[in-house]
Amino acid sequence: MGTEFRTTHGTIALINLDDQIESLELQAAQGRLTSRWWAELVDRLTLRGQVRSRIADYERAAGIAEAIACDASADGMAFLTRARMRAWLHRFEEALTDLDAAERLGLAGDAESERAAIFQAVGRYDEAMALRRAVVARRADFETLWAVAALHAERGEIDAAEHWFGESRRRFRGVSPFGLAHLDFQRGHMWQEQGDLGRAREWLMAAWVRLPAYARAEGHLAEVEATLGEREAAIGRLARLASTSDDPDYATQLARILYQDGRLEEATVWRARAEVRYDELMARHPAAFADHSAEFWLTVGGDPHRALALARQNAAVRQTPRAAALLSRAALACASGPAA
Amino acid sequence: MADHGAGPRSIANPEIDISDLCAFPSPERAGNLVMIMNVCPFRPSSATLFSDAIDYRIRLRPVRVASTGRQASFAVGETERTFSFTFDVPRTQGGGRRAQSGVCHTPSGEVGVTVGTEDGAHSNGLRVFAGCRLDTFFVDQLFSGGIRMNRRLPKPTAINSTAGQNVMSLVVETDSKALFGTGAGPLVGIIAETTTRGSYRARQDRVGRPEIKNFIMMDKASDAVNRDLDVRDLYSEEDGFKLRPDYLGAYRARLNGSMAFYDGLDGKTDWPLDEQGDHPLTELLLADFLVVDVSKPFAEVSYFEIESALLRGVPHQTCGGRWLNDDIVDTVFTLLINNGNGPRISDGVDHTTAPASRTFPYLQPPNPNPPPLPTLVGIPR
Repeated sequence: MGTEFRTTHGTIALINLDDQIESLELQAAQGRLTSRWWAELVDRLTLRGQVRSRIADYERAAGIAEAIACDASADGMAFLTRARMRAWLHRFEEALTDLDAAERLGLAGDAESERAAIFQAVGRYDEAMALRRAVVARRADFETLWAVAALHAERGEIDAAEHWFGESRRRFRGVSPFGLAHLDFQRGHMWQEQGDLGRAREWLMAAWVRLPAYARAEGHLAEVEATLGEREAAIGRLARLASTSDDPDYATQLARILYQDGRLEEATVWRARAEVRYDELMARHPAAFADHSAEFWLTVGGDPHRALALARQNAAVRQTPRAAALLSRAALACASGPAA
Repeated sequence: MADHGAGPRSIANPEIDISDLCAFPSPERAGNLVMIMNVCPFRPSSATLFSDAIDYRIRLRPVRVASTGRQASFAVGETERTFSFTFDVPRTQGGGRRAQSGVCHTPSGEVGVTVGTEDGAHSNGLRVFAGCRLDTFFVDQLFSGGIRMNRRLPKPTAINSTAGQNVMSLVVETDSKALFGTGAGPLVGIIAETTTRGSYRARQDRVGRPEIKNFIMMDKASDAVNRDLDVRDLYSEEDGFKLRPDYLGAYRARLNGSMAFYDGLDGKTDWPLDEQGDHPLTELLLADFLVVDVSKPFAEVSYFEIESALLRGVPHQTCGGRWLNDDIVDTVFTLLINNGNGPRISDGVDHTTAPASRTFPYLQPPNPNPPPLPTLVGIPR
């Protein structure tokens, strides 16, 4: 399944990615970047942020995107880039406005794909699917079919998602490990959501083996392993991730498992770390971290009322089944007293 | 750009992108043939590594003149010699320094090489080098892209669009007599390829002559058959020594239309099409490999001289192939636009600021602080 394509080893791919970022940052520091290369730097930082779960990379990318859109008001690429970053920050309405500007400046095709991603993120699935299908009708390749698969997965249409994940993989050309690892991760995540932990593990493992630095894949793999009873393996993975990533999600997951296993002293340390970090992130990016922060307060954070407020905040901008489920769990927890 | 970003797949995957192929008799050691393949343009530094998932291959076959004049063509022999580079995952050495090792698989055995070692590796008369180098290619892209965009010859800016950029380079130098034995003729056809490694092998990029894909194949506007298809990715998947019949019609239509457009830029016709609408250069260029005469000495200016002699029906005078400092952009434009029946067409950039050296590995060390790529024109998004 996951290994028939030989791709560049994750170590090499990440060294080269770091090298590209360093080189672009050097040019940026010397004031030599044009808006096109600023956009390239944003893309590279976002990719590294995605792989290593480095929020600092996303924040740097978002800062650049804001600056280049202000400086290059006639450059569609600058608006497209800012739209991507505003979508990451869950500032969806502003992102859609930027896409309108990018479209007016001649980037209709690119804007269409980004608009579909935003519609998907906010639960406007039918509109997202119409756009995704239109893009596929023009160009059916690895990326466009993967996007269709991911949308079906999000809607819980598992057979269709499996079909399109397979079709997408079949069209893979090239040797970069990033795209295939992300695709396999999404496939694994879909099965995890469906409760098929065997298949979930298979695909998450494929993603992680292909790209061993892929923190999100390893984090979800740890969750699956913990549920399957492989607690020590899961704790080992999460402890490593929580120590190296600036995303508090790993500390949250680790604390949760440690509490369940009665290792209260260790759990408390990780819980405290997650709390401090979520407070920092919520102060800077309230929309972007409302859902994960709500999940924290609903579980190891132990404050369902705070979780409910955040879940409401999240549901106000995203009408997705996941946002609704989070809100419902938070409301239920408030009704039945504090969670442990 | 010689073959830099020559197709959507190469643009999206720089690690597979062959930007250049050069082949020439060694200016340092008579009797040796040097082949240089550059990949991953515009991005690398001395910290950049080669992919362990790619087989970087230089393929050679003996060729001979099959016909001359308007039907000029080469016959390609079946015997093949390959120089193939593969690389490992890097090891961390003392002081945290990373080292990537590779192997050049040659007809006479394997030669190990460490990426970035200045004088490369030497074994059994072979010399190999792998590492980041300065891109020696030079072109005024505002001129070359401006032709496609404006459908006329623009005024050159004389600014080298690749100035100061780096590439990842692979260099092989070998005894040319040992290639095909003493009975073989002097002409050798040479192709560079990147292919995937492992059980699933696919050709990712392939280069023979420079600017076939970018100057000629990228331009859809004059194509009488496919005006909305970038044929370059399909073309790059082909075996350059033997194109499949499946897409030949599409390639021919693209070359015929595009080269007729270039021919008309000076307001006269130097390449009359035949009754089928075929351009006289089409079949010759579809045999897309560098041709080197290994019996001739090194020459500074020799690109396409063998093919031009074939077209005129006269013996060639030089080694052909392509030396790093040869101004092939002017040669290609002059060939396409007036076939030498007029002034040399120049983009105003005649050399790089740091020309190639005449000693192994011939390429200059990388620029530690390369500039961002300047604005390019006439490139489809």
